[in-house]
Amino acid sequence: MKKRIIIAFLVATIVIFLAGIGGNANSVEAKGLNFALSGNPDSLDPQKTSGTLTFQTLKSIYDTLAEPDQSGKIVPALAKKWEVSEDTLTWKFHLRKGVVFHNGDALTAQDVKATLQRITDKTTASPKAKEFGAISSIETPDNYTVVLTLKQPAAPLLASLASGWGAILPKSLIDSGHDFASKPVGTGPFKLKEWIRDSRIVLEKNNNYWMAGLPKLDAATLHIIPERAVQVQGLISGQIDVSYIVDKDDVPLLKASPDVQIKESLTSLIMVMAINCSNPVLKDIRVRQAINHAIDKQKVLNIAYGGGKPIGTFMDHGNAYYKDFTALYPFNPDKARKLLADAGVGKETVFKLVLPQNYEQHVKAGEMYQDMLEKVGMSVQIKLVDWSTWISDVYRGAKYDLTVIGHTGKLDPHGTLGRYGTAKRYVKWVNPRAAELISNAKRTSGFENRKKLYDEALEIMATEVPFMYLGSSFRRVAFRKNVVEFRMTPKLDTFDFRWTDLQ
Amino acid sequence: MGKNKQILAIFAVGYLVILGVTAVAAPLVAPHSPTRQNVEVRFSPSSSTHLLGTDNFGRDVFSRVIYGSRSALLVGIVAVTIAVVLGSLVGLVAGLAGGTTDNILMLLMDSLLSFPTILLTITVVSFLGYGLLQVMLAIGIIFSPVFARLVRAETLVIKTEAYVEASRALGSPIVKTVYKHIIPNLLGKVVVQCSITFALTIVIEAALSYLGLGTQPPEPSWGMMLKDARNYLVLAPWMAIYPGLALALTVLCFNILGDLISERLNPKL
Repeated sequence: MKKRIIIAFLVATIVIFLAGIGGNANSVEAKGLNFALSGNPDSLDPQKTSGTLTFQTLKSIYDTLAEPDQSGKIVPALAKKWEVSEDTLTWKFHLRKGVVFHNGDALTAQDVKATLQRITDKTTASPKAKEFGAISSIETPDNYTVVLTLKQPAAPLLASLASGWGAILPKSLIDSGHDFASKPVGTGPFKLKEWIRDSRIVLEKNNNYWMAGLPKLDAATLHIIPERAVQVQGLISGQIDVSYIVDKDDVPLLKASPDVQIKESLTSLIMVMAINCSNPVLKDIRVRQAINHAIDKQKVLNIAYGGGKPIGTFMDHGNAYYKDFTALYPFNPDKARKLLADAGVGKETVFKLVLPQNYEQHVKAGEMYQDMLEKVGMSVQIKLVDWSTWISDVYRGAKYDLTVIGHTGKLDPHGTLGRYGTAKRYVKWVNPRAAELISNAKRTSGFENRKKLYDEALEIMATEVPFMYLGSSFRRVAFRKNVVEFRMTPKLDTFDFRWTDLQ
Repeated sequence: MGKNKQILAIFAVGYLVILGVTAVAAPLVAPHSPTRQNVEVRFSPSSSTHLLGTDNFGRDVFSRVIYGSRSALLVGIVAVTIAVVLGSLVGLVAGLAGGTTDNILMLLMDSLLSFPTILLTITVVSFLGYGLLQVMLAIGIIFSPVFARLVRAETLVIKTEAYVEASRALGSPIVKTVYKHIIPNLLGKVVVQCSITFALTIVIEAALSYLGLGTQPPEPSWGMMLKDARNYLVLAPWMAIYPGLALALTVLCFNILGDLISERLNPKL
């Protein structure tokens, strides 16, 4: 009885939090989806950020020349087809006719050219500019044809064009210096109506969308709700229709509600504990192997990341280039202890485990790693840092011993593996053979040919363990029963509202 | 003192004494290690082995609450000491010197006071780096203006008292005057202020740890426990209730203590 009162009190508190959302949920729009977004995007300019939340929001506002379908295959979008020359140096894109931007401009080859120039322009300072670096010239023989000429073969370029940062912007607004960061204008299925920072993003239907009959919704409101417990209560009470970051611990609660359904799918994330191989102790492969043996991977996946599949190398589990090496370093604390003894590492060597404080899952995983490593006789000290410090000190500066992070598996394997094996990556793991294989694969075309090179590179990475490879986590999406066709594009880690409907 | 107040006083002092003893003797009192994980028993409600249940890693909540009192009290003691020493020095110098020195020092202190406390602490901690030590230093600096203003105001009054002027006129050195006449007169008010500030520092430490800026995991702190509990409010409410209760009681008791001392020192006639 006492417990019931406590729970009732807590639920009441959460409902009060939600009251703010409730106000506009039941009003005006006929078919408006209420979606829970886990944070505020830093900017809505697709070419000036690398923030996942930005691309997740912009998927509904912009289109790209090509796009990945749900299986990860790249299919036509704004370009209805494309041809690549024999030497793979000339790419010809044929644009779809009759596509209109939200401001009324018709899409032409000039817009594509202006957009690509904007990405590569130094003054834009796009974090993704390098991916388009191979383009040497952009020609527009007519209004619906774009010809890209490349300096060297670049197989990953198509994936970059199909990613969120390949979004096509209207030339007229690029020229007039429009503020895309807060007022995006694209060709996508929805237009931005308003963005109230840290509260909500309201999207309304683009009636002139080029895909016939889509989108089906009249509007979608992305409520910015970082608190998981609030999202869960919103789903149960019906103020939220879809939540895409449901934690495993909340599943029983949601399952108890007859109106809520849960769908589980594998993300393209590569969860790791990175090991700084320039550290004199961690340089010793035995210590790195010991770390890999000390961690019970499935347990960490289940508790910190809400379930997932272990991986044995630096590639996401669902990727076509993935190869299984999980048998190399199974959970074996005794072997870890022995390897540490061989390497002469005891309690007196203190390793600093740096954790990005804003990522709760990584902090949780870090606490588990610390405990597991202490149990095999290592001394590990946790240090929490904010995200910008993590980027500057850990990712750029390599000032750490161990750290926990998730790498987003990219559409093209080069996006994931590029420059590993050289000292340019933050694990400071140097292996000329792996580096050579990776850079050769970038210039090679054809899946089979590339796979052979990547297989060997991934095997070296799996054996030499510059990381403790954990796995790819599950993404759990929960939605109300009246929501149909809610789709995620796993390869972009984004949702896609085009087919979604409410009954 | 009324009867109710007496009960309240006994309760507050009793609680604080128990808190102090358990903090010092934590390894003897706590039944489990506060950091040892045992995920097989995560989210268990209270039982005979885990008096207040377990958290999301299967750690014992009771042991963590007890160990958490250590960081709360430590921050309180160190931060208040820093604030008192720094603030009193500034206040004394400003009050005794007067003129431009007074103006400059008080301008500095007032500008510190003009910022919201939490915001300023976060700024200082971001600058110094995360951790308990940095938090103590930051809170100490931020609360020093309160003491500086208090000490300066009292000094201004005391220094014009006839007996102080007389002792100065007789040629006693300034240090002796401060030591013999000014400090004893200040003591009461400073002690009351200490008690209130102590409660505030504990709240701020909890807030910073809640934000992940304070105590570093896996070391327990009440604020961090509340943060961890946030996502499990419905599933495991005990994760939030007990550290929250400990925090609220501690702050309440320090405030009651402050009131009591203040009443004792300034009896209303």
